[in-house]
Amino acid sequence: MVDLFAAGLLAAIQPQMLLLIFLGVVVGIIFGSIPGLTAVMAIALCLPMTYGMAPAAGMSLLVALFVGATSGGLIAAILLKIPGTPSSIATTFDGGPMMEKGEGVKALGAGIVFSFIGTILSIIALVFVAPALARVALSFGPHEYFAIAIFSLTLIATLSSGSMTMGIFSGLVGFAVSTVGIAPVDATRRFTFGMVELNSGFSILAVLVGMFAIAEVIKVAEAGRAGSNIRITAPVMKGVKGFGFSMKEFFEQLPNGFRSAVIGIVIGILPGIGAGTSNILAYIAARSRSRTPEEFGKGTLEGVVAPEAANNAGIGGAMIPLLTLGIPGDAVTAILLGGLMMHGIQPGPMLFVTQADLVYTIFAALTVSAIVMLIVEFYGLRIFVKLLAIPRHILLPMILVLCAVGAFGLASRIFDIWTVLGFGILGYAFVKAGIPTAPFIIGFILGPMAETNFRRGLQLSQGDYTGFLTNPISGAFLALAALSIIWQIWSGMRKRPARTSS
Amino acid sequence: MAKSRTKGLVVGATMFVTGLLYFLLASRIPGSGGVDASFFPHMLSIGMILLGAIHLLQSWRQPVAAMPQEMSDDIVEQARATAEDEDALAGEMAPDYLSVVLSLLLIGFFVLLMRPIGFIFAASIYLFLQIALLSPSGKPIPWFRLALMAVVVSAAIFFLFRYGFSLMLPAGPLTPFLS
Repeated sequence: MVDLFAAGLLAAIQPQMLLLIFLGVVVGIIFGSIPGLTAVMAIALCLPMTYGMAPAAGMSLLVALFVGATSGGLIAAILLKIPGTPSSIATTFDGGPMMEKGEGVKALGAGIVFSFIGTILSIIALVFVAPALARVALSFGPHEYFAIAIFSLTLIATLSSGSMTMGIFSGLVGFAVSTVGIAPVDATRRFTFGMVELNSGFSILAVLVGMFAIAEVIKVAEAGRAGSNIRITAPVMKGVKGFGFSMKEFFEQLPNGFRSAVIGIVIGILPGIGAGTSNILAYIAARSRSRTPEEFGKGTLEGVVAPEAANNAGIGGAMIPLLTLGIPGDAVTAILLGGLMMHGIQPGPMLFVTQADLVYTIFAALTVSAIVMLIVEFYGLRIFVKLLAIPRHILLPMILVLCAVGAFGLASRIFDIWTVLGFGILGYAFVKAGIPTAPFIIGFILGPMAETNFRRGLQLSQGDYTGFLTNPISGAFLALAALSIIWQIWSGMRKRPARTSS
Repeated sequence: MAKSRTKGLVVGATMFVTGLLYFLLASRIPGSGGVDASFFPHMLSIGMILLGAIHLLQSWRQPVAAMPQEMSDDIVEQARATAEDEDALAGEMAPDYLSVVLSLLLIGFFVLLMRPIGFIFAASIYLFLQIALLSPSGKPIPWFRLALMAVVVSAAIFFLFRYGFSLMLPAGPLTPFLS
């Protein structure tokens, strides 16, 4: 393992790779810091640039974007009190007040350093857990994969924001969209309406770009010309130098940072609940364990360290199911999965056997990205702060054009751009109806996995359905899926009388 | 309250109808009976119909605003409020649906024109009109600067992808002049 990681590190510090990682981190931080721009957009826009690259170089660029965008959210969260990304929501609670108290530099410094620590700890977990899990997963058959897909789908649908019916519905629609094209096992054409372009179904990237990037552009259009009057003014950064906190404060925050990182890693591994949730849970844990919980919300360093360590720790955590089982936990890892598949790489346990060098290059690229992120944010903070003032009505149309380029690049077809537009409208409709989009994406990706493995599993057990329940791993995951639904219904019913009485 | 109840009913009905339509389409899939290619689409459509019915019932019985939320912790509530801050800023104004429709039309024309007139021209026209459409109200639009920016950005993207990343975007009438 050490040899493979060392070889990966050697590959990642080659000049071309370093340059790509540097660019990825910088672009990622820009997208993470500007509210309204997301990590998904950053990766979607840079994907066409990787078409001509070797898989290792392409994936290094994409993971660098992931690291940069996750960390970049803290800049707007602290300076503007607006989370650049959902993973920095809790950072605003104390980062904003610290800025108002004149401790903005300290908050930014602590956020950056503990983002770095969170990332590194999660990479360590990834390096040790992923190969072991992959070894276990090698023995998985269709029964296990079907159960894991159903468990993941249930988890994301029940835990996503909004009502549970909406979450499950969103997952089912995503699953339904994935049934377009040639069916697995018996190759029957479904829902193609005689269109040859639909035979292979919808591209995962077209769906993701449409649902996330185009829907965002339409949302800006909804605010109209009056909305463009809302201008974000970049804060004055005069006299900003260093990380702004002492070594004593650093050591005091270490247990909090470590605990938060563990929360981030564990939450990151679970499908469906990524950094958007872990930063809030880490904040709650930090407050309950703090000697001064009353200071939370008024501008305490602990309140910045906890969410920032947790959200970046989700990076390594989310990569574990992605690489070992091919299951993405959220939209960002879903688009990374798309990137891998575009380069002809099928994530799963076999990846660790057939392309171990690539896997370890990705691990190394993540490590180098974390270091680059620390350096770039330390020296380049003033520049990123200036970028916050770029008006969105100029930026988003350009992003739309780049999305169109990315979609066209999939197969040099205008059809794919229409698909992106169609899913953009669907994404906007979801937003207006209050239906969460994340379960849709996971349903779209895991749907074919569930269907294929269900039908194969039935073939293996000669049409006997009980095979899915008698297999210990499959049975356990299906039981967990059922428990998750029952628990959600029960907690919903428990809250209802309380609310009614209040 | 009444508005969110109506919205809940409309959303529930849409979910129900979506499920129904999907069921009808799934019934046209040729199958052998049992677990065939139409099995999952049928299961999914039944799920959608049921969820639509549940949502309709929930919206009918109580206003959407009072529906149970998954988490009620004060911090989570604060998180929700923070996440919605940005939308709230824009939300104070009535949604400009004309702007949405015009933007969608512009995107549609951009995609439609990309092949016949080439990426550079189509993207330039789109960027120019889209940015002008969304420019802040009450301020004069810098037409010349905007046109120049639209052309420069479109050309830069075209050449960067064509020569930098080997992605042959449609060149339209410029094709004979390009290597």
